[in-house]
Amino acid sequence: MGRIKNLLHARSMSSFAFLVILFLVVGLINPAFLTPSNISACFNTSVVYTLVAVGMAFTLFIGEIDVSVGANLGLVAAVVGSMLRDGQSMGLAIIVGVVIGAMIGLINAWGVAVMKAPSLIFTLGVNGVLRGIVYVYTNGAWVENLPKGFKDFSSVTAVGDLTVYYCATIVLVAVIQLLLVRTKRGRYFHAVGDNAQGATLVGLPTRTTKILAYVICGVMAAIGGIIFCSRIGFVTPASGNGYEMKAIAACVLGGISLLGGVGSVVGSAIGAVIMASISYLLVFMGFSSNYDNAITGIILIVIVVVDALLQRRAIVKNRHARLAARVSSGTEVAAAAMEKAQEGGEA
Amino acid sequence: MTRIKQLLTKGQASWNLILIGLLVLEFVVFGAANPKFLRPALLFTSINDNLPVFMIALFVTLVMVTGGIDIQVASLVGLTSITIGVAWQDFGFSIWAAVALAVLICIACGAFSGFLIAYCGVQAMVVTLGGSFLYSGIALLISTLSSTESYQGIGGFPEEFKFIASYQVFGAIPFQLLIYVAMFAIAFILLHKTKYGRKVILTGVNAQAAEFSGINSRLVIMSTYVLSAVAAAIAGIVLTAYLGTAKSDLGGSLTMDIITAVVLGGTLSTGGKGSIIGTALASFAIAFLKFGLPLCFKVGTQYLNIPVGILLVAVIVGRSAASSTGYLSMLRTLVSSKVGNGPKVKA
Repeated sequence: MGRIKNLLHARSMSSFAFLVILFLVVGLINPAFLTPSNISACFNTSVVYTLVAVGMAFTLFIGEIDVSVGANLGLVAAVVGSMLRDGQSMGLAIIVGVVIGAMIGLINAWGVAVMKAPSLIFTLGVNGVLRGIVYVYTNGAWVENLPKGFKDFSSVTAVGDLTVYYCATIVLVAVIQLLLVRTKRGRYFHAVGDNAQGATLVGLPTRTTKILAYVICGVMAAIGGIIFCSRIGFVTPASGNGYEMKAIAACVLGGISLLGGVGSVVGSAIGAVIMASISYLLVFMGFSSNYDNAITGIILIVIVVVDALLQRRAIVKNRHARLAARVSSGTEVAAAAMEKAQEGGEA
Repeated sequence: MTRIKQLLTKGQASWNLILIGLLVLEFVVFGAANPKFLRPALLFTSINDNLPVFMIALFVTLVMVTGGIDIQVASLVGLTSITIGVAWQDFGFSIWAAVALAVLICIACGAFSGFLIAYCGVQAMVVTLGGSFLYSGIALLISTLSSTESYQGIGGFPEEFKFIASYQVFGAIPFQLLIYVAMFAIAFILLHKTKYGRKVILTGVNAQAAEFSGINSRLVIMSTYVLSAVAAAIAGIVLTAYLGTAKSDLGGSLTMDIITAVVLGGTLSTGGKGSIIGTALASFAIAFLKFGLPLCFKVGTQYLNIPVGILLVAVIVGRSAASSTGYLSMLRTLVSSKVGNGPKVKA
C-alpha cells in the first residue's frame, strides 16, 4: 500500500493528472476527439520530444542544463539522412549518429564538468557551433529522397494505433526510470544535483556522474534526430531549431526543477506529450494553430508558478509544525526564542 | 611592468583592454585583407544591422548582474514590431500612439515576468522561457488581426517613422546610432554611477544580505526585467523603422547573440559582477567579426554561428579555468616576482 501511496504523491503524477484532464476537457468540448486513434496520435507525435526531453532531464537532475540538443538533433538528422540517401547501411548510419551524439555530449561534459564553465552559456556556444556545422555539412541544402522503407517504418504500429517508435520509447523510459530508482549509480544523478559538494564529501563520483549525464543527453538527442529523420522524411539545415526550449519546457511541465535533484524521466516524458499535443488539441477545440505558442507559454508559466507557491506554502507549513512541536514540549524561553525566529522568518 | 600588474589585478578594466585589443586586431586583420572594411559607410551599415542586439544586451546586463537571465527579450522585439504595424494600419492609431502602445505592452510583459521571478520565486530561466513562448505567441495572434498576411509583413510606414532609421546626423552618423549612444549612457550611469546600480550589484552578490541591509531586492530584481523589456521595445521600434516592415517574428533569433555579448563583456552569469562598457565593447567585437568574415574572407553568412560560438566557448572556458585553477593568480605572482627582482622597482 505504501508503494501505491508513494506513486500517487510523485511529482510526475500531477503532470499525468493534468494530461488526463486536458484530454477530458478537449473531449467535453469536442467528443470527436476521444477516440483511440486521436489519443494515440498525440502520443505518436511526441516521440522525438520525449527522447530529447528524457535526455535533457539527466542534465537537469544534476543541476545543469544543455541547450545544444536542438542543433545536436539537427546535425545527427542531417548526417544520418544523407548517409541513408547515399545508400549506406542502416546500422552504420545509426551507429555514426549515436557516436556523434555521444561526442557532442562529451564536449559539453568537458566544458561543464571538467572546466567548470556555466552550463547554459557553454552549451549555448556549442549550439551555435553545431548549427553552423550543419550548414557546412549540408551546404545549406535540404536532405531529401530518403529510402522509402526508412520513412514508412515510422508509421508501422505495434500496439493498437501506437507506433513502434513510441512503444520502444515507452520501454526505454521505463528501463531508464527503473535504473535511476533501483540502482546505486542511478541514484547518484539526483544526489549530485541536490548537493554537489555534499555528494563529493560522501564519496560519490560527482564529475563522472556529470559527464555521464551529458553523454546520455547527447545520445538521446541523437536517437531523437534519427527518428526525426524517419518521421519527417527530410532534413533542413534549420531542423531541430527550438527543440532545446521545447524539451526544457517539457521537463518543467513534468515536474523537474531547474535547480537540480528533483523529478523523474517519466515526468519529462509526460511533459513531452503535453507539449507535443497542444497544437493537435487546439485543432479539436476549434482554434487555429496560431494559438500554439501562447497556450504553451501560459501553461508553462501557470504550472511553474503554482508549483513554486505550493512549495513555499509547504516550507512555511513545515516550519510552523516544527515550531509548534517545540512549543508544546519546551519551556517558555524556547517559546520566546521561537517567536523571535518566527518574526525573523516572516520579515 | 607595474602597468602589466595593474592590468592583471584589476578584473574588469583589464578585460575591457582585452576586448579593445580584440577590436583593434579585427580592424587590422580585416582592414589589411580588404580595405573596403574600413569605409565608414560600410562600418555604419554593419553597426546598424546589429543595433537591436547592442541595445538589448546593455539592459540584459543589468538582469544578469542580479543573477537572473532573460531569454524572452527576443520575442518582445517581434511583439513590439507587430503591435506597431497592426495598431497603425488596422486600428487607425497614429504612428506615435502605436509606438507608445507597443512600449506599454512591453513594459507590462517585462513587469509580469519580473513579478513572477522576484515575488513568486520561480527560476528566471523558466519564467522567461515561458515568456518567450507566450509573447511570441501573442505576437502571432496580433498578426492575425491584421488584414495583411503575416508572412508578408506590414509596410508603407509614414516618413516621420522611417526617419528614426534613415536620418543621418551631419550626413554621416545614423540617427539610430545616437539612440544607442543615449541608451548606453543611461545604462552606464544606472549601473555604475547611481545608488540603484549599487543595489542591483548587491542583490546579485547576495540577495538576502541586500534584503537585510534595507534594500527592496525583489523590487530591484523586477525592475531589471522591466528595463530589459523597454530596451527590447526600443530595439523593436528601431528595427521596424530600419527594415520598413512590421513582422511578428522579427528578432526571434537574437537570444544567442544577446547573451554572447553580455557574457563576452565580462558579466558573470551567476550575478554580482558586470560592466556596461564590457557589454558594449563585446557587442561591437561580435558585430565586426560577423561583418568582416564574409566581406574579407568570403565566409558564408550562415556559417557565422561557428566563430561566434567558438568565441563564446573559448571565453567562458578560459575565464572559468583562470578563476578555478588560478591561472590568473599564477600569472599575477609571476609578474610580481619579476617586478620584485627588478633592480629599480620598489614593491
